[in-house]
Amino acid sequence: MTQQPGAGAHGAGQQPPAEPKELAIGPFGQFLKDVGIKSTRLADSSGTFGANVETLEVAADDIEQTMRHLRTAGDIGPLDLLIMVSGVDSPDTFDSVYHLWSYSDSQKELVVKVRVPKASVGEGRLPHVPSITPFWPAANWHEREEYDLVGIKYHGHPYLRRIMNPWDWEGHPLRKDYKQPIDALNDKNPHSMR
Amino acid sequence: MADGNNIRIPEELHDTVQVSNLDFAIDALSKIIDPVANWARSNSVWPLTFGTSCCAIEMMSVGMSAFDISRFGSEVFRGTPRQADLIITAGTITRKMAPALITLYEQLPEPKYVIAMGACTVTGGMFNDSYSVVQGVDRIIPVDVYLPGCPPRPEGILDALIKLQQKIRTESYVERRKRVYKQNAVRHVDYDTGLPMETLSELVDQAKMDTDESLKTGNR
Amino acid sequence: MATEITQTEANRQRYLIQPSHYAEDTNLKTDEMIINMGPQHPATHGVLRLLLTLDGEIVRHTEPVLGHLHRAQEWQGQNRTWFQYQALIDRVDYLSGMFTSWAMAHACEKIDGLQIPARAQYMRVICAEMNRITSHLLWLGTYLIDLGAMFGFPFYPFREREKLFDLLEAISGQRMMFNYIRIGGVQRDAPLGWFEKLKRFTDEFNDRVDEYEAIVTQNPIFLNRTKGVGVMPKELAMAYGVTGPCLRASGVAMDLRSYKPYSIYDKLKFNVITMDGDGDTWARYICRIREMRESNNIIRQCIEQIPGGTTEELRKKREACNSCGKADCANCGGDLQLMVKKQNSGLRIKAGEGFAAVESPRGILGCYIISNGSDKAQRVAWRNPSFCNLSILPELLTGRPIADIMAIFGSLDIILPDVDR
Repeated sequence: MTQQPGAGAHGAGQQPPAEPKELAIGPFGQFLKDVGIKSTRLADSSGTFGANVETLEVAADDIEQTMRHLRTAGDIGPLDLLIMVSGVDSPDTFDSVYHLWSYSDSQKELVVKVRVPKASVGEGRLPHVPSITPFWPAANWHEREEYDLVGIKYHGHPYLRRIMNPWDWEGHPLRKDYKQPIDALNDKNPHSMR
Repeated sequence: MADGNNIRIPEELHDTVQVSNLDFAIDALSKIIDPVANWARSNSVWPLTFGTSCCAIEMMSVGMSAFDISRFGSEVFRGTPRQADLIITAGTITRKMAPALITLYEQLPEPKYVIAMGACTVTGGMFNDSYSVVQGVDRIIPVDVYLPGCPPRPEGILDALIKLQQKIRTESYVERRKRVYKQNAVRHVDYDTGLPMETLSELVDQAKMDTDESLKTGNR
Repeated sequence: MATEITQTEANRQRYLIQPSHYAEDTNLKTDEMIINMGPQHPATHGVLRLLLTLDGEIVRHTEPVLGHLHRAQEWQGQNRTWFQYQALIDRVDYLSGMFTSWAMAHACEKIDGLQIPARAQYMRVICAEMNRITSHLLWLGTYLIDLGAMFGFPFYPFREREKLFDLLEAISGQRMMFNYIRIGGVQRDAPLGWFEKLKRFTDEFNDRVDEYEAIVTQNPIFLNRTKGVGVMPKELAMAYGVTGPCLRASGVAMDLRSYKPYSIYDKLKFNVITMDGDGDTWARYICRIREMRESNNIIRQCIEQIPGGTTEELRKKREACNSCGKADCANCGGDLQLMVKKQNSGLRIKAGEGFAAVESPRGILGCYIISNGSDKAQRVAWRNPSFCNLSILPELLTGRPIADIMAIFGSLDIILPDVDR
């Protein structure tokens, strides 16, 4: 999923670039490095002021410390508005994407991604990402929704149950290989119940 | 349901209890009563406040002064299904909502009518291959008038109401009584899984299984 | 979470009702009851189920059960082409369909690097502010219904809504699901006479809002039901990610139109309505009703500032060059265009990802799009303000009697398809 900045439209059969360019470390990456968290910089994503929002990838085990530091950071601006947590079913990974803004400084925007490779998730098991709900209540329902729709298990969440679909629903609908149940409620049988 | 032919009275009550069957009287009088009763019923159809999504806003608009629905008899929207005659299913019905709608429909007292409002309730609408939307509310409750649109204009709702009134006026009470409890729609949707259950006996069997297991394990 | 009690938290706890000690005095045992406030109830906000744990009449715990309107709109984003999906997202938040279209168009334009002409931007702002007024009017009408003023008051706001719907129907063809703001601009220009009618509406709208305020704002019943009810301290709101009028009523002056000005909002003058104090239901009501006046003001400024003027003036200009369509033409190109991307099934967005947000009547409405260059999006994720505002509801309801549930819930201005998508 890493896209080089300024790349054109890609189809499915694009050859991966020969050497991925190392992107220069940005201010948030530097801040995290100073507190001891390793982060990889991905291509900038687009935000309010143009295509220049820093996008960092951190390891799944570091996400809690990352969020704690970013939320209470002093000079780098407290990023205390958690806009959304979204889950993505990418071709090779399950991503958990956190968008962070600030209530006090309008120029500060950051995107943090946690990627769990699909190869490391066993058969019939879900990818695990630590939950940030215990100290950040805004993430509570977002993480429940991503558990429901994409199937990322946020361990440490106080109440990880399905939120959109019925409680005993099977399957995670936003995955690319999801097959929906066809029954009397949604088949297109012309003889149904009229 | 026991009708007049099958009630058995215990021996000791034979002098005091008499069962009479009014069906023949109803059949005879229906020719006189039906037109009057149907006219009265059609001119005062009170809907239930059942608005799920976008069509509910147009239903509210039709209740307001620009497109007044109370001119046509729907003076009040009742909050409880026990006092309403009509459900205008305004809004998408999802699998999670289906059991609630079926319960509401069964709580309406006879004679009851349904207007399926909006494309979502007619055939599933723009959510036609969505995993969580019931493709047309007539899969779970019987519908009298279909009203397409996304959302239909308030004038459309009034048109549907007028068609329903015409339908009510041509009804026969006797035929209606025969059809009670004979609907064939999917009547039971599981609350927990959102999947349909075939018959009531399946519900009962499941309930029995649950209680038996708890009795078996017992309290430690 | 902070361990010391802030002043606003102390204020909030002043209003809570603590468990009674009557039972201890008389050796009575009481128990808590779980009541279901089911998906269908006459409070016309859609289908939300609340499981209330009650101690007598006081709510001790609430569990909202969502998903009764989950229509798989994010799934549709993956399975519909860009051109098809644009038409479907008005229903995500049906009272502010312009804003959802705008958020998605904004995100796609940022990824694609499109520059939107100024006239299109002004038309977007005008239609969006009209939509904001209709949304707040409907909120006002239904909120008073929730509080019990069932048959008198809601006719007034719906009268204004009909006037605005006439204008919006003239410009987009639909009363509610406009499909007007598209990726690359707006769908079409206003018809003849539209700007005059809109100007007349804005001239008389302030008197109408005075009418509503005269009925509601100093009404003793309304004040009794809303003052001190549902106090939301600033820190709590910020911890839960609350945005919009609910946040501004609690004292945080964050309005995305002035905080991160998008489109042409940096050229417009308007106030950000912030209330000091407790952030109770009454403050949220005041925020919204004053925002209606601000939106009116914004529309008036846009009508004066719009490049090309009214439709008649623009047509006269275009006659001069016979609508040549060249980008640098002074009469019909550049700033005076309305659409810069071809709207057909061949609509494509470059590969990339982006997030864009707009200030909808409920808060920050954002759209996160991951595109891989094909005809469908790879992922469309919505950040809905109602979803985040609703998560604070259990905190606000604890300790209040049942009668306050609808007063608090209505004041958060929740739209259920926004919550459930």
